[in-house]
Amino acid sequence: MLMQNLRRNPLRSALTAVAFALPMAVFVAAISFVVALDRMAKANEKALRLGVHHKTSFTNLLPQGMRRKIEALDPDRRRLTAVCGMRWFGGRVPNTPNDVHSMAADVDSFPAMYSEIKLSPEVTAAWERERRAALVGAELAEEYRWKLGDRMVLESIIPPYPRLEFIVIKIMTESRETRSFYFRRDYLEESLASARDGNPAGVHIFWVKCASAGALHSLQKDIDALFANTPDETKSEDENSFVANFTQALGDIPGLMQAMALVVVFIVAMVAGNTMMMSFRERIRELAVFKAIGFQSGRVFFIVLAESVMLALIGSLIGIAPTALLLTLTPARLRSMGPMDALEISPLAVVISLLIALLVGIGAGFWPAYQAMRLRTVDALRRIA
Amino acid sequence: MSSADIQLRDVRKVYYKDRIEIPVLEQLNLHIGEGEFVALMGPSGSGKSTLLHLIGGLDGPTAGSVRVGSARLEQMTERELTSWRSRHVGFIFQMYHLVPVLTAAQNIELPLLLFKMSASQRRERVTTVLSVVGLADRMNHRPNQLSGGQEQRVAIARAIVTDPDIILADEPTGDLDAKTSEEILTLLNLLNSEFGKTILVVTHDPRAAAHAKRTLHLDKGKLDREETNGLRESAVSDS
Repeated sequence: MLMQNLRRNPLRSALTAVAFALPMAVFVAAISFVVALDRMAKANEKALRLGVHHKTSFTNLLPQGMRRKIEALDPDRRRLTAVCGMRWFGGRVPNTPNDVHSMAADVDSFPAMYSEIKLSPEVTAAWERERRAALVGAELAEEYRWKLGDRMVLESIIPPYPRLEFIVIKIMTESRETRSFYFRRDYLEESLASARDGNPAGVHIFWVKCASAGALHSLQKDIDALFANTPDETKSEDENSFVANFTQALGDIPGLMQAMALVVVFIVAMVAGNTMMMSFRERIRELAVFKAIGFQSGRVFFIVLAESVMLALIGSLIGIAPTALLLTLTPARLRSMGPMDALEISPLAVVISLLIALLVGIGAGFWPAYQAMRLRTVDALRRIA
Repeated sequence: MSSADIQLRDVRKVYYKDRIEIPVLEQLNLHIGEGEFVALMGPSGSGKSTLLHLIGGLDGPTAGSVRVGSARLEQMTERELTSWRSRHVGFIFQMYHLVPVLTAAQNIELPLLLFKMSASQRRERVTTVLSVVGLADRMNHRPNQLSGGQEQRVAIARAIVTDPDIILADEPTGDLDAKTSEEILTLLNLLNSEFGKTILVVTHDPRAAAHAKRTLHLDKGKLDREETNGLRESAVSDS
């Protein structure tokens, strides 16, 4: 009977379902984004990496010699386990407008720094042997049809615009690295040296792998203190804070997303509430007859409320399902978010969205259901007659 | 007292609107025996529908007692009245009031959802009453696919599917043409004569009243006169 009641006014039910569907599609994407950020933050916390960059801007180079000074802070390697200098290459595939997230890394410490990439002994040997070695993310490789052993060229968008040839020694399948491109920094510095013309050798960031969260916090203070009041003053921050610099360049994205999601839910609740009240007014006579033939008030309350909840859930599923399918088949890449993970649909986001839909359905249907429950049969029948 | 005996004693019903007292029924005494077919007539505002509602447990008297069978309706709570109605009363309304999104069979099945019955038992009952009202071939039609007379038949079927003791009909032929009205009244007669249902019909239509064995005339909330099989009796005394 509930489903058939939704067909009472098919156009109104359809429009209300769409009113649920579109906002819930946005809502589930927004919550997925927040969940993705949270997941990345947890992964970063686990990796215990401290980023040391120039205090003024992470686009300013730091002298590569700073690495030894950082390492000297902990000669026994109780607090830090590795230091890796990395330099942004700003690569682009020739004759395409697409940037490649490409970083040059210190050859000796990169495998320890990014242990989650799990380089096999053979790949590590190739990395150390071949100065043109490149580690390529799986999605990137698929996009440009690069395979193991392939040679390719990237040209930098940063002056003096070096153009370098690479050989793929590993396709990275780890979720955070599927669009990354790593190669040896000494190879980059060699190419820059010949065209140096004043270009300093250096890094944009030193990543410091810490032994524990406590060590990370203490190193953070010690490193910045070490370089305070020098031309290369540093700002050390954990990986989450460093990544946040990118997302917060666009404002407080998670906060905006959550606020937007709440506004969406509120609007949907208003629309749904209006629809349910209209439906109730149309059905006063019918509900009066239900009560006359013996339906208790509580049952009538449930009938009206259940209809509202069903409409909310159906509408939400209509919005969530295609969004989930779309993001699962083609995960959105947030290129402007820096090292942001891909936006994929999160099961938690789907569950939260459905729960919200359930609550909205209950909220929207409660007042009409209550009115129905309190309906005086005699008065309603008199109105009918 | 049988379960379908209706007795009203000194019943008074007053409504309040903006604190103004509006008397609708005054010192009403009435007895309808089991198996009677009674018509209730009177001008608009005479209290006919109110009387029907009191007997059907949809409303309570301001004073006096309403007894149907062994049930003292004025002493029952709303929940008890609702439960009692589902078992003992079948309602028929002027405008049928079928659920438009349900088929004829589903509309008739509605009262049975209140009882512990299997789907097959409910289906069997529905099929039976559809045969009684002559609409076995229309069970899967929706109300908008039925004529007015057919809709009223479905409403009658819904009213009798729980095998109630009494059937209360408020202007059952008010929206129908003469021929269809006659068919409906014949059906009510059948329910009365063949199945022994106690039937009370509120009507403005003298032809409808002619089908009843007794006609009660209300005026200004009081029983004005009574007629049996077309014979006029003297004004009813309040005894």
